[in-house]
Amino acid sequence: MIECSHVFKRYKNGTNALYDINIKVDQGEFIYIIGPTGSGKSTLIKLLDGEEVATKGSVKAVGIDVGKLKRGQVPVYRRNIGVVFQDFRLLPEKTVAENISYALEVINMKKPQIQKRVKEVMQVVGLEDKGDSFPRELSGGQQQRVTIARAIANRPKVLIADEPTGNLDPAKSAEIMELLAEINKKYGTTVVMVTHDASIVNRYRRRTVVLEHGHIVADLAEGGYVRHDQ
Amino acid sequence: MISRPIKEGFSGVGRHWAMSISSAIAVTITLVIISVFLLLTWNVNNFTQNIESSLDIYASVDYDAENQEAALKKKIEAIDGVESVELSPKSAEFQAYLDSFSDERTKEAFEPYASDNPMHDAFYVKAADGSKIQSIADALYEMKNNNEGLYEISYGGQSTISIVDAMANIRKIGMILVIGLILLAIFLIQNTIKLTITARATEIEIMRNVGASNRFIRSPFLIEGVIIGILGAAVPIGLTIWGYIALYNNAGGILISNMFHLVEPYPFVYYVSGILLLMGIVVGFIGSWLSVTRYLRWKR
Repeated sequence: MIECSHVFKRYKNGTNALYDINIKVDQGEFIYIIGPTGSGKSTLIKLLDGEEVATKGSVKAVGIDVGKLKRGQVPVYRRNIGVVFQDFRLLPEKTVAENISYALEVINMKKPQIQKRVKEVMQVVGLEDKGDSFPRELSGGQQQRVTIARAIANRPKVLIADEPTGNLDPAKSAEIMELLAEINKKYGTTVVMVTHDASIVNRYRRRTVVLEHGHIVADLAEGGYVRHDQ
Repeated sequence: MISRPIKEGFSGVGRHWAMSISSAIAVTITLVIISVFLLLTWNVNNFTQNIESSLDIYASVDYDAENQEAALKKKIEAIDGVESVELSPKSAEFQAYLDSFSDERTKEAFEPYASDNPMHDAFYVKAADGSKIQSIADALYEMKNNNEGLYEISYGGQSTISIVDAMANIRKIGMILVIGLILLAIFLIQNTIKLTITARATEIEIMRNVGASNRFIRSPFLIEGVIIGILGAAVPIGLTIWGYIALYNNAGGILISNMFHLVEPYPFVYYVSGILLLMGIVVGFIGSWLSVTRYLRWKR
């Protein structure tokens, strides 16, 4: 489902972000990518959602070579992957329902279908009564649920979650983790979750890829937080 | 779906009304200035045409050449830049001379001369446009000097020609100013909309994140720009219609002297309004195109 082979990334300003990254994620897998700030996690996500192109090596997702996409094809490619952000990134002037339906309007879905689908995903994330609220009227945990609802609305094969619990307290974080696990299990969505929250990684054990200074220092099938201090 | 960008464009204006108003004011200010220049240039154009069309060259015929008038007329008509040539017989010239006096006694004093008319037959030569007057007059002088049957040439002379030249210059300067102001308006609006959009850069980023194509993102912003342009044009259009009609009525249709006739307000003000509206729309469209495109560039 996702395959990075010998990926190097060097930014124009000379910063080396990633060195020889090799990861293979199968369909339906749920993996963590962990590492401290500046370890290259964000770069890896940018390569996956087409924002940046690898300097060397290839990044493939849902059977598409992301680096080879033309600019105009990137938006279309992004419809295959849902992204959940730490800072939620909801459109502040749109209601919850409008935020979710925007992602569907983008793919030219018909109005009645959009309404039906928006209702469905709001049920999945447990916010069926918040459709007319604006993001600022919701708590952080609720906003993150809206983001997840938006990310899964067009049934992506891959869900990328960039520190989804970063702004939430432990109880809310646990709810979000359970929601992500449910989506992974129920719909077979491949989930790649970037985090540096050791408690989560230790509590919900899954395959864990550890990044440090742009290198993969560990890829543990059994999971658990690893600190790789030199 | 064409309705989506329109709907979103309108709600964008509503949701960011403070920014929309400041952009619209930028449009308003420049369009008011443009309107003044348009009215001015148009009127100057009109003055010039009036003056040019009243610039006849007078060429009287030698007594000895009165039998060759048909040939003379042909010859004058052949001069480059001549639009028309009219022959006025000496009786008409005499009558016109008499008519130029307002008191009856002077007129009576001249009556006896009617039987022994001292006037000459005369050609009135019209130039196709003002710039040709000088060269036509020169050609006529040459005919006179070669004794080809002309007795006297007269025209407004250098002073009328300078007026015509001055008007042409004012017109040119006016046009350049209007074009400059349009560019300034685009720049102003681009900047204001850029501010609006900087505030909304996150919004655009989110749209890109969920897979919206550039066209999908851009179209509501363009509609927004057009709406702002129309809103911005409303006040200048009102001012133009009201202000020009007021000016026309107060001045009695003339400016300074009878030589400068103002353009009739109808349908003139509607033409100018149409131009202002069009400028508002175009400027709003281009302004938002330029600013939104900045945020749609892919760094890949």
